[in-house]
Amino acid sequence: MSNKSGLIRRVAISILIAWNVAGYAQESHVGNLVGNARRGKALYQRYCIFCHGQYGDGRGESAAYLDPKPRDFTKAAFKCRSTPSGSLPLDSDLYDTITRGIHASGMPSWKPLLRQERADLVAYVKTFSPSFQEERPGAPVEIPPEPPPSTESIQRGSELFQSMNCWSCHGKDGRGNGPSAVSLTDSKGNPIKPFDFTSGPTFKCGNTDRDMYRDLVTGLDGTPMPSFASATTADQRWDLVHYIRTLSTANRSGHILQVKGR
Amino acid sequence: MPIRKSIVLEFLMLGALLGITENAHCIPAFARKYGLPCSACHEAWPMLNNFGQTFKDNGYQLGNGRDAPIYQDPGYWPIMFRTTPFWHRENNNRQGVDSIPGSAASGLIERNVTTSGFDLGGVDFIAAGTLYKNISVFVQPFIGNSSVTLSQAWARLDNLAGSRWLNLKMGKFELDEPISQERSLLLNNTGALYYNYFFNPPGDRNLFGGIGLPQLGIEVSGHSANDYTRYSVAMVSSNSGATGLPTNQTYDVYANVNQAFEVPRLGMQQVGVYAYWGQSPTYFQTAGGTPLPGTGTGNESFYRVGAYGHWFVKRFDFYTFYLHGYDNVFLGNGVPANQASTLPVGALAPVWNGGFVEGHYNPTPRWVFISKYELTRMSRQANPLLPPKLGNLDTWTVGYRWYPIMSTRAGLAWTQEYSHIANVGAAPVSHLDEIRDSYLMGFDFDF
Amino acid sequence: MQSRYSVLIISITALVYSVAVLGVRTTASAADSPASISGEVKFQGTPPKPTRIDVSQDPLCAKAHSTPLTTEDILVGPDGGLANVVVYISDGLSTQTFQPPQQPAVLEQKGCQYKPHVLAVQSNQKINIINSDETTHNIHPSPVNNREWNMTQPHGMPLEKSFAREEVAVPVKCNVHPWMKGYIAVLKNPYFAVSDKEGHFSLKDLPPGSYTITAWQEKLGTSVQKITVGAGENKTLDFTFKQ
Repeated sequence: MSNKSGLIRRVAISILIAWNVAGYAQESHVGNLVGNARRGKALYQRYCIFCHGQYGDGRGESAAYLDPKPRDFTKAAFKCRSTPSGSLPLDSDLYDTITRGIHASGMPSWKPLLRQERADLVAYVKTFSPSFQEERPGAPVEIPPEPPPSTESIQRGSELFQSMNCWSCHGKDGRGNGPSAVSLTDSKGNPIKPFDFTSGPTFKCGNTDRDMYRDLVTGLDGTPMPSFASATTADQRWDLVHYIRTLSTANRSGHILQVKGR
Repeated sequence: MPIRKSIVLEFLMLGALLGITENAHCIPAFARKYGLPCSACHEAWPMLNNFGQTFKDNGYQLGNGRDAPIYQDPGYWPIMFRTTPFWHRENNNRQGVDSIPGSAASGLIERNVTTSGFDLGGVDFIAAGTLYKNISVFVQPFIGNSSVTLSQAWARLDNLAGSRWLNLKMGKFELDEPISQERSLLLNNTGALYYNYFFNPPGDRNLFGGIGLPQLGIEVSGHSANDYTRYSVAMVSSNSGATGLPTNQTYDVYANVNQAFEVPRLGMQQVGVYAYWGQSPTYFQTAGGTPLPGTGTGNESFYRVGAYGHWFVKRFDFYTFYLHGYDNVFLGNGVPANQASTLPVGALAPVWNGGFVEGHYNPTPRWVFISKYELTRMSRQANPLLPPKLGNLDTWTVGYRWYPIMSTRAGLAWTQEYSHIANVGAAPVSHLDEIRDSYLMGFDFDF
Repeated sequence: MQSRYSVLIISITALVYSVAVLGVRTTASAADSPASISGEVKFQGTPPKPTRIDVSQDPLCAKAHSTPLTTEDILVGPDGGLANVVVYISDGLSTQTFQPPQQPAVLEQKGCQYKPHVLAVQSNQKINIINSDETTHNIHPSPVNNREWNMTQPHGMPLEKSFAREEVAVPVKCNVHPWMKGYIAVLKNPYFAVSDKEGHFSLKDLPPGSYTITAWQEKLGTSVQKITVGAGENKTLDFTFKQ
């Protein structure tokens, strides 16, 4: 009998462990918030389903009318991450995207939702892809302190914009009209436009210099925008950030434009 | 002249005017523009959730760089209509009627009167959206069963100086009420109104129709990114929203401030305060004894102040609302300010308090259950001869709305409501309490 | 009751053990007298003419070619052999897992083309990606079963990647140079080959057995055949594709 009860106990414990592991995958952790996928599902059906679809595959009823297309969560490839290209995002990356929205897309800022609700949505979005149960997110990229912008830095950035072939898509003037621009598609084959840097100081994954630096390191997965992680040094990325800032005709802070004009 | 006011007074004192609140809105024009369903902006349309309130406060903009009309198909025309076919039954336990029907001279008696049947509440058209980035507009003609009115029409400069804390609106607009009269979830005859928004004491001659009416003027407003902190200050002409300058030339001021907090495991909790201070004329310049519109003078002041809260307990939420009202003694007694000697002996400025609790249970975006209890209490009558409780009212309502379709194109709700109101001393002959009951069921749809 | 559990545990243990032993034995016997399959992939009909590619948008690409670059999606040799066809065992092997080879596969970007145009690797095998061009490329696979990534690679930058799961085949492109298209076939066993310019392929060191062999071509789809090879046997297997 003791053997039998031991076996039952072992089975019970393994079921419990499996339950816990599965349960963990149904959660999100953002700061001290713990998101719950079950609650997230109800919120998803209220706010998200009409674009991202019932199955999270980006095929909601409004998807046909949107450009760029809504994200397909089943692929677990996300534009805005703090993790290297090809790795899963952190929960906080998804949370930040929901909070921030994605400029120049159909995705609005969901900041008016409760912090808890946004964490719940993160937990539910993660259930659409098994990757979140099979893999761990990548290690977040390091962002070193920003050197002050200077004429030299902008000049170097301008040269990198040329040598790194940024212009092929974003165009010589950063207008998003480079020779390869018309050929671009997202990972699902839908046409996608390269970002027009002259449209203003607002970007897809955040508007600070640090956000732009991070975008250069991580790339925007699911889009043609690659990672420049190994291709450039930290200083070179800051040079690129400083240069790209000068392309914006609506650069509100103006500090870089002044340097350039000197 | 103050048509609106008389309508409201009639509504409050005698009841039985239908369709006055048939101008609430969920706006499929926005849903179509952004591909979002009604449920994104409405807890249950037409009642907004915080996301929808933020969208509205942003000048009908999501702020994702896709708001300007240039991003729309050139054929897009931001217009929607809403209407409500329904069946209803109304009962008044002490309706004043002629004792011999058709004979005005036969004398008024009280009868229990019941009416019922299929009915319509008119059609709302709403054209709203952005003319350009950060310029929003709203035009709302209402086709009633016998008239066409312009419920609202305004333009707003949004995010002035790049700040969401500075927005300027001008035109005829709904005041930034604690809970929007325009977005009441209820449609029935006695339960749809927030009586406190329209209440004036018995015998009062204040021409102000109440904070529940759209007003003509300008409004400065602002809000935080998540809309947890909001303010608005409006300066409006003392015409109670009526066009053509019918009353006087003074201006009233309305202000509303609220602050919300996120409480773990419960949800959003919001508190706010509001105040309306205004002036109303007590007599007019006349020509041949006929008052000249816009020449109202002998302006006397009145105010409505209060506080409110909106409390969430998961999928339940409650509004609590308190109002304190004051009308000047001349307004309260309906005496021109230049004839102080005709004031009744011991006349005082009327003072009253009121409030309501409205609860919603919103288990899914498809269902909302509504209950409301509202009261007003006179604390001081203008004329000491009046019964102290005259004007007090108690009303409760229960109902639900079911949204069988969830779409980014249109909205349809099935609604059933029951409402009960008791007006103290309002029976025309016996001066006993007048009790009215209202039942409504029907479709509420917009496209 | 107790005995029934014991029987269960013993039988499971025995099953696991026998599978392990069998696995070892098949590998051992294959090493003794391995079989092989070789053959040719043919294209039936008139081969389509490769079209010219305009690479003038990047002078560094144009410089690398004295004759115009042409498309590589259907490459037919002089005798009708079809190149760049991935031939692999899609079924018939035991469920054993194969360790990836130590030797990395090499994918080179040269003259703004992928060399090879179609690369076959084993899952988790390292792929050494080289940019021999002066210009900067980005290498952007769009897998279905694996994770997508997208890396910028200037001249000389080292880059090593791998794919974890079987997928025939992962499209690879360079968004900067839109004509650059290639494929990486990821197989879970080591028995695969890519047909050469003449359409020849051979699968070596096979354990004897009955197999399903699949040939995959990027434009023309797949062709499947079954074959049985005994110990030490060398069999011929031809595939034919038509448009």
